[in-house]
Amino acid sequence: MNRLQALTDREKRTLRFAGVGIAIYLALFGGFEVWKYVEAKRADYRQLALDAENLRQHTLPYRDKVQVVKKLMDEFHLDPARLKKASVVSDASAAIQKAARAGGVQLGPIRETPAHGSSATLATMQLESSGQAPAILSFLASLNTIGFPLVVDSVQLSADKNRPDQVKMNLTIIILNFEQPSESKEAVHA
Amino acid sequence: MSITSLLNPPPLLVEIGPDWLKVRHGQDSAEFPLDHGPDGRLTALGKGKTAAALKNFLKAKDWRPRIRAWCAISSRGVSLRRLSLPGGAKEEFQQRLLLQIEAEFPLPPDELAWGCLPLGQSHPANGTLARQDLLVAAVRKTWVADYQELLRACGTEPVFTLAATARWNWCGQPADSFAMLDVGLRQSELTLFEKAVPTVSRIIYWDGKNASNPAAAPLETLAEAIKGSLTGSRLWVTGPAVSKEFTERLERLLGHGCNCERVENPPVGGSSAAILGLEKYAAQGATPALILRLEPGGSAATSLAALNWKTWGTRVGVLAAACVLLPYAEALLLKPHLERKVATFKADAERLKIIDRELDFLRGLKLSQPPYLDVLFVLSKSAPPGSRFDSLSLNSHGEVSLRGGFHDGQQVADFRNKLIASGFFTNVVVEEQVPTPDRQKVNVRMSAQERTAAELAAASAHLALDDTKNHEKAVAPGAVPATPSAPPISGKEAK
Repeated sequence: MNRLQALTDREKRTLRFAGVGIAIYLALFGGFEVWKYVEAKRADYRQLALDAENLRQHTLPYRDKVQVVKKLMDEFHLDPARLKKASVVSDASAAIQKAARAGGVQLGPIRETPAHGSSATLATMQLESSGQAPAILSFLASLNTIGFPLVVDSVQLSADKNRPDQVKMNLTIIILNFEQPSESKEAVHA
Repeated sequence: MSITSLLNPPPLLVEIGPDWLKVRHGQDSAEFPLDHGPDGRLTALGKGKTAAALKNFLKAKDWRPRIRAWCAISSRGVSLRRLSLPGGAKEEFQQRLLLQIEAEFPLPPDELAWGCLPLGQSHPANGTLARQDLLVAAVRKTWVADYQELLRACGTEPVFTLAATARWNWCGQPADSFAMLDVGLRQSELTLFEKAVPTVSRIIYWDGKNASNPAAAPLETLAEAIKGSLTGSRLWVTGPAVSKEFTERLERLLGHGCNCERVENPPVGGSSAAILGLEKYAAQGATPALILRLEPGGSAATSLAALNWKTWGTRVGVLAAACVLLPYAEALLLKPHLERKVATFKADAERLKIIDRELDFLRGLKLSQPPYLDVLFVLSKSAPPGSRFDSLSLNSHGEVSLRGGFHDGQQVADFRNKLIASGFFTNVVVEEQVPTPDRQKVNVRMSAQERTAAELAAASAHLALDDTKNHEKAVAPGAVPATPSAPPISGKEAK
């Protein structure tokens, strides 16, 4: 005996309508979910594109900065990236002495004092030298271009009593710490 | 395949025979059979098969522009008439022409595919209009329409002309009166030309299968068929199997001084004289003078009516969908790429910090350099002759102190004034001024303070300018100026 009764036409129609309704609902719901998903992806992408554009804008000034850095490096004959903090003082000392010898300047006592309190300097050098006035001036001018971050803190010139044609010069040179942000000394000339 | 050939492909050259279709496209040639029904028209089945084969031969793409198809049709069913019409306005002339065609041909113009070739104007008698001479060629429209439909289905735009005019072009466009015989396998075609204009063209049913073997070919029947029709003294003979012996024997049979000339066999395999003539037109950039049209003047309306709305609707829909979906597709497809680029850039951002640090350091180093040489230059420039400096101290804080000797107090005052006027110093102080015991000199201890870096830069520029002017004045006119050298401070600052 068949316990399931055959469906009437009305019931079949109802079931058909229900099926169509469910299909439409699922299509709309699914479509909405898909649309939400792709819309979220698109929003993420737009945000990412905005970030990329901001980064691009951020890097634009660096083209000019690189040019300025190159110019200054050429001017000082100095590439901070090639310096080593551990050996920069000894290398600078050697370069100063080499420049003095090349310029015909006789060097006297040299004293090095390591920097203790300041992070902006690595060491201070005091050196005495003597020579003819042109050689002394050339030596003084060459200190800017020997390839090390030097600042001549003080210069003391005096006549050499033993040799009237010679000039004595006492220099105090500061070797700067190239790994620390530099403190501008513009204000000191006031 | 170049862009030019993609956008402007070579034309398709077609010769339509009684039961075959020869085509040539670029370097490729092919021949397709045609299936005619009892009424002489192409059957739908045969048309479909031929169209599919031709489409495959052309490798036609829907997106490419339609290829122009130059079609040479045989003389079967073609009527040629010479007409002479009074001239006049274009519309009026066209009306007269249609009326004349209706009078001369057995079918009305609407049922004909026809074309006309202007032959020139005849000289009018006094008081009459000039007359325009024309050659009109016409054929039943349904016959040509079948081929037009077939060729359009293959993505081509067919243009019909007579095979006889194409062969005439291949023979070098002879300008005199002559006849031209094209010998085919099942039938031959004889066209008579008067002063390079075809006047009569007809089919001769003669079996040309043995044309390559003239001894076995029944040339007598062919000669009898054409003998009475010939005009002029020359007969050009074309055909794939025509040999020299063939033309010599035909010449003997025709007699009466008729000169038979064989047109050289086409050097390209599978190409007939008609196709080579069309190819010659295409190579010259010219078009056949006589073109048969199915709807004269109504092509624009026809093409609009024949627009495939379904295809174009689909294309428009695809384009619209692409416009909507492309931004989303861009987000889905390009996001990983953009993420990688941004990540790479952020990883490289450390380099930007290094650039910043180096720039700050180098700028600071530049600002930290005290202008000792400039100061020494100013001091030496300001010092009066005979003065003497015993010691000079400068430091990075801008403090300057010196000790020296001058002749008298006036020189000290002048020296001080010059230092102030140079713009390099402020607070120039004579800390001590002591005359020597012999009262001949004055020993002086002075101090000064350098100005700020910006003021020093301005003063340096001013000083350099003054120095240049003074230097130029010192040089005699016409003399070579001396090269600028280091500041002249030697010998003064520490004597």
